[in-house]
Amino acid sequence: MWRGRGQPRASEGLPSGYEQLDRHLPGGGWPQQALTEILIGQYGIGELQLLMPALASLCVEDPGADHIEPGWIAWVAPPFQPYPPALQKWGINLSRVLIVRPRNDSEVLWSAEQALSSGTCAAVLLWPQALDDQASRRLQLAAEKGASWAVAFRPLTARSEPSAAALRIELSAGSRGTRLSILKSRGGSPAVLHDVV
Amino acid sequence: MARVRQSPVIAWDRAPTPDAATQHPQYALPLAETGHGPTPVSVTATKVRRLWFCIYLPNLPLEACGPGDKALVVIEEQQGVHRVLLAGEHACAAGVLPGQSPNAALALLPTLRLEERSVIREQQVLELLATWLEQFSSFVCIAGPDVLLLEIAGSLRLFDGLQSLRQQIAAGLETQGFAASLAIAATPLAATWLARGRRRTCIRELANITAALRQLPLHCLDWPPAATESLRGMGVTNIGDCLRLPREGFARRFGVKRLLQLDRALGRLPDPRNSWRAPERFCADFEMTEEQDDRELLLAICRELLLAHEKFLLARQLGTQRLLFTFFHLKAKATSLPLGGVQADRAADHWFGLLRLRFEQLSLPEPVIAIRLRGGSTQALHTESGRLAFHGKAPREQYYSMTQLAEQLAARIGNESVHGVTAVADHRPQYAWSARDLFATKAADVLTRIRYGLKRPLWMLPEPALLTMRDGHPLHQGKLRFVEGPERLETGWWDKDGIARDYYTAMNPAGVGLWVFRNRNCRRDGQTNGEAAWYLHGIFG
Repeated sequence: MWRGRGQPRASEGLPSGYEQLDRHLPGGGWPQQALTEILIGQYGIGELQLLMPALASLCVEDPGADHIEPGWIAWVAPPFQPYPPALQKWGINLSRVLIVRPRNDSEVLWSAEQALSSGTCAAVLLWPQALDDQASRRLQLAAEKGASWAVAFRPLTARSEPSAAALRIELSAGSRGTRLSILKSRGGSPAVLHDVV
Repeated sequence: MARVRQSPVIAWDRAPTPDAATQHPQYALPLAETGHGPTPVSVTATKVRRLWFCIYLPNLPLEACGPGDKALVVIEEQQGVHRVLLAGEHACAAGVLPGQSPNAALALLPTLRLEERSVIREQQVLELLATWLEQFSSFVCIAGPDVLLLEIAGSLRLFDGLQSLRQQIAAGLETQGFAASLAIAATPLAATWLARGRRRTCIRELANITAALRQLPLHCLDWPPAATESLRGMGVTNIGDCLRLPREGFARRFGVKRLLQLDRALGRLPDPRNSWRAPERFCADFEMTEEQDDRELLLAICRELLLAHEKFLLARQLGTQRLLFTFFHLKAKATSLPLGGVQADRAADHWFGLLRLRFEQLSLPEPVIAIRLRGGSTQALHTESGRLAFHGKAPREQYYSMTQLAEQLAARIGNESVHGVTAVADHRPQYAWSARDLFATKAADVLTRIRYGLKRPLWMLPEPALLTMRDGHPLHQGKLRFVEGPERLETGWWDKDGIARDYYTAMNPAGVGLWVFRNRNCRRDGQTNGEAAWYLHGIFG
């Protein structure tokens, strides 16, 4: 019987902390060792709250595995100041937060690539001015090399641009909460979710 | 039984201290071992057995001028006239001899390079060698302008025996381009004299020293020419002859100092030495014969300096966090390039990686004539233990560590652009956090115990932004809808940055959660005419 070889098996995802979203993501969570793109119309629409539970789970120090240090979370070129008291409230380990403020866009991509491929960062959040197809592919490869999770925040105009990201989602304001549409999902299917955050 | 067997060992160790000996009347005993009279009174008794390794560098003036040049001739001013002191291999083959005038040497070999002798440079080379030798023994001493001494009794086991240690030192000297004469003896002076006499010997037993020294010619003693000449006139041509002379007369004619030297060489008197200690900070120069602007070449020189720096720190088990490269130019002011690391390190490769990143961006106004590397303050190096591999969950595969990543990022985009964060126990939102310097020598304690029950936004604006008003209502992309509040935060009179604010959580029409406040200190900022001003301070994200 032919079972269909070569079909990409969805690897285990990182639970997002939002059940509704996990159900629609292959692997039951954020794709690991891959690039995720989040398209937003404006800052503050709920993009950070969407990530916080997953980021917090990356910082947890496992007492049973004391030899494994939790990975770092790098913020490359954030548009505002990530506020430590709030991060702490969400359960982020502040001693593992790295803020990088490069001077120009090529340095943003370089820094993110370095952080991803180093193997020390569990997640790298970046806010590039522009991200072309080639750059996204580089980030994807760096994330695979360093077993890290890359999250790029991009404007809605990037929707029509090609990208190598494993997951692309778009956030927009809904009637009561944030509306989330999955534009592209490797091994999954597009969907629209309401009031996730 | 044991006492009987040990007795000869004790006999050589028990000897008067030099001071006591010179003043003691009963010290007038013959030099020869077969002489009469009482043996020296035992004052100190140490059971530590020492073995001295002597490195004599006869060609040091030549070698200090740099390796490789075989047509080099070192000249020295003697009584107002320049004379050839030492000649390189090719110059020797052409017939250049020590003592010739420089012109005569040039006539024999027109291509030779004349170099004035520099005692300072020789001393520097000797110190570098001593630093290098510190890896073999904790006790290295510079015993003269061309002699280095190592105490090796404690190193034999570590370096797998005398033969192996000797080979390692000899091979190291050879690769560094030094022609050395090596000798090993139980006393430092005996080792020095044997090395000067080019005897490839190893005298481990004190009892055998006299026999070994007997045949050495007088010039090995390195005594003043007057004393040597006078001895020769007496028919004394080697140390053995010297030892046959009566002590009293010898001391009167040649001074007690010489007599003491002989006694120390034979082990009858202790011969304490001072261990040489290298300076704790590294500083090395590389001077070029002509100006250079080839950046690859300059980098290669920097690498050499870094390798020397690594050796320097390795001998002390230290690391450093800061380095300073200075590039000197002939006409312009020197360019300096500081390097900093998150963690103390000494590995040349690591520093070179950082240097390469910074050097790309460095602009040099002029070609470079010399490079100086100065090491920062040192600290004990803590190395991390490796991890055992049999844990269930495999650790993340690290290509390089966090510190290396931070260094790389900082090297390219600047130190101030890479930082961590920490929470601060302060009720005022703008003071409730601070940037954490990843490069601080001691990382500030991160407050992880504070648990905020209060609602705070994830995004903070660097400065509160004044909101426009319409009909006494703040606007942000439309009319705001207040969700929570007010939360009143007040005062900070102790550092003159007091606040009086009512914070609200609000939603704008686009569905963005905002953290806004009404400033109750409206009179102070004077931006509004007595009316309470509204500001945007954070975004909930």
